[in-house]
Amino acid sequence: MSGGRGTALARKRALLGGKHLLLLVLAAFMLFPLVLTVSTALKTDRDVRLNPFGLFSSFSTENIVTAWTVGSFGDYVLNSFLLSVPSTLLVVVLSTMGGYTFARLPFRGRTFLFYLVLLGLLVPFFAYMIPLYFQLRSMGMLDSLVGTNLVLASTGVSFGTFFMRAFFSDLPNELEEAARIDGATEWQIFSRVMLPLVTSGAGALAVFTFLQNWNNFLVPLLYIPGGEYRPLTTGLYLFLGGRSLDLGPLAAGTLITILPVLVLFVVMQRQVTQGFLSGAVKG
Amino acid sequence: MSGAVGPSTVAPKRAARVVSHAPRSTRRAQTRLGLLLVLPLMVVVVVFFVIPLVNAIYYLFVDFNGINPNPPFIGLQNFVELATDPAVWDAAVNNAIWIVFGTVGPLALGLAFALLVWGVRRGSVFYKLAFFVPFVLPQVAIGVVWGWIYDPTSGWLNKGLELIGLGRVTTGWLGNPDTALYAVLATAIWSVSGFVFVIFLSALRNVDADIMDAARLDGANPWQRLVHIIVPQIMPVFLMVTTITLVGGFSVFDIIFIMTGGGPAGATEVLGTYAYSSAFQLNRISYGTTLALIITVISIPFAIWLNRLQRRLSLQGTGA
Repeated sequence: MSGGRGTALARKRALLGGKHLLLLVLAAFMLFPLVLTVSTALKTDRDVRLNPFGLFSSFSTENIVTAWTVGSFGDYVLNSFLLSVPSTLLVVVLSTMGGYTFARLPFRGRTFLFYLVLLGLLVPFFAYMIPLYFQLRSMGMLDSLVGTNLVLASTGVSFGTFFMRAFFSDLPNELEEAARIDGATEWQIFSRVMLPLVTSGAGALAVFTFLQNWNNFLVPLLYIPGGEYRPLTTGLYLFLGGRSLDLGPLAAGTLITILPVLVLFVVMQRQVTQGFLSGAVKG
Repeated sequence: MSGAVGPSTVAPKRAARVVSHAPRSTRRAQTRLGLLLVLPLMVVVVVFFVIPLVNAIYYLFVDFNGINPNPPFIGLQNFVELATDPAVWDAAVNNAIWIVFGTVGPLALGLAFALLVWGVRRGSVFYKLAFFVPFVLPQVAIGVVWGWIYDPTSGWLNKGLELIGLGRVTTGWLGNPDTALYAVLATAIWSVSGFVFVIFLSALRNVDADIMDAARLDGANPWQRLVHIIVPQIMPVFLMVTTITLVGGFSVFDIIFIMTGGGPAGATEVLGTYAYSSAFQLNRISYGTTLALIITVISIPFAIWLNRLQRRLSLQGTGA
């Protein structure tokens, strides 16, 4: 009896071991491009020339320095923040206010406005990016921080409003009624009672939106044709086009581009995953 | 203000109840705050989404070259040209290939990963990170690194193939018109699979463990359990993911533009890259816009159809 149970257990354990082995091999495959980036970025210049893709065959930070200074990746980092932070804040603020309205403040015509916002989930940026270019040009908003931040925000608010609305809809009506009986104004109900209860949702939205904006390629490609506010994504693309043979600095530039993403992802994994999971409704 | 029964919304019952409960002064205050809160959002949506979208529709019927402020009206000429442009059809074929493989690949890999990680306790956080990380990376970075892996002389793919005795199939993967599209596709599948994996993994958590145990006792093998028990239970999620990857496949742009720019010799040209180059490299703004809008219009029925199917299935699930 006990022997039979023992072998069954051993078989189960062996199966689990095999599973782990397979998973580790798969994880190594999935992570390999990342490993290759780090390895190439941290080589000496000479080693890059001789053996560009050999893993961790030397160590130096000279490529990082070259990319940061000569490759202007230092400027690109700053620009990426200047384009991602305000647009993210804008998305979170506008979506929170809009989400609250669409969840809890009924008025005539509200449904029409909500459908207009939701239309943004159905129509991809692609469909209207070309006319938007000429619109921005006539508004004097090409190559501008304000214009690009507003465009980035506009690509995020549809999902953001939808996302925040779900949080506000879940809050119990009793809260609102109790506050009203206590003499709170509508504004106070929103700002003092309801708002503190959706901070985790707003946080997830912020992390998710920041990643989207940081990674955005098409918006800066189209609307920042000059170089003044070029962020990391189009900066790296430009470097790839002009100096693709400078493998060391190119790898370093790639590492600089993805490092903030990686840090944010590892530290706030739950928020990121939550955002992407609910972002899935975007289809 | 007089029609106090409430606006005819999608959820009239709920809206009416909220309205009828509140006294008139509250309703007025709510309207005032609502308009105030929603105003900035609507300004952004109208200026940066609705107006350009309406302009896009206007561009369809004129011949705008980017300079002329009063472009000539040309009726349906853009559509006629589109239908007879062989480059459009070549791009559409590539797009179709992309949609099929770019949907099936991540679904299969993502499901396989999820089934493997499902039930694994130790290290599951690490596996989740490892599989999901390619999805959060910027596409430019992905394009750069995979360009090295596909490098004809010193890339890891060719080196690996030589190592296992397949030296004759080595090639310049992105430079060879026969392989370029599939090389970029493989990169995209690598990047999207982790996203599908995370969604499937969270769906698997809801699979009924009792039914699984019962099936195991009845002697159902793993394959039977997958097909008859797991897949039906995660079907709504399966359809949702299919919708996302499918619709994304129609408007694919970034990764192709970055890795091959549509080349070599148009081998990776899809509707998205063709629309971009028409508009911004050839200054055929109207033609490019027509293409871009067509892509959207084709993809929407797929999205709606799959969405309906998904909703019906998940309603069945809750009804049972």
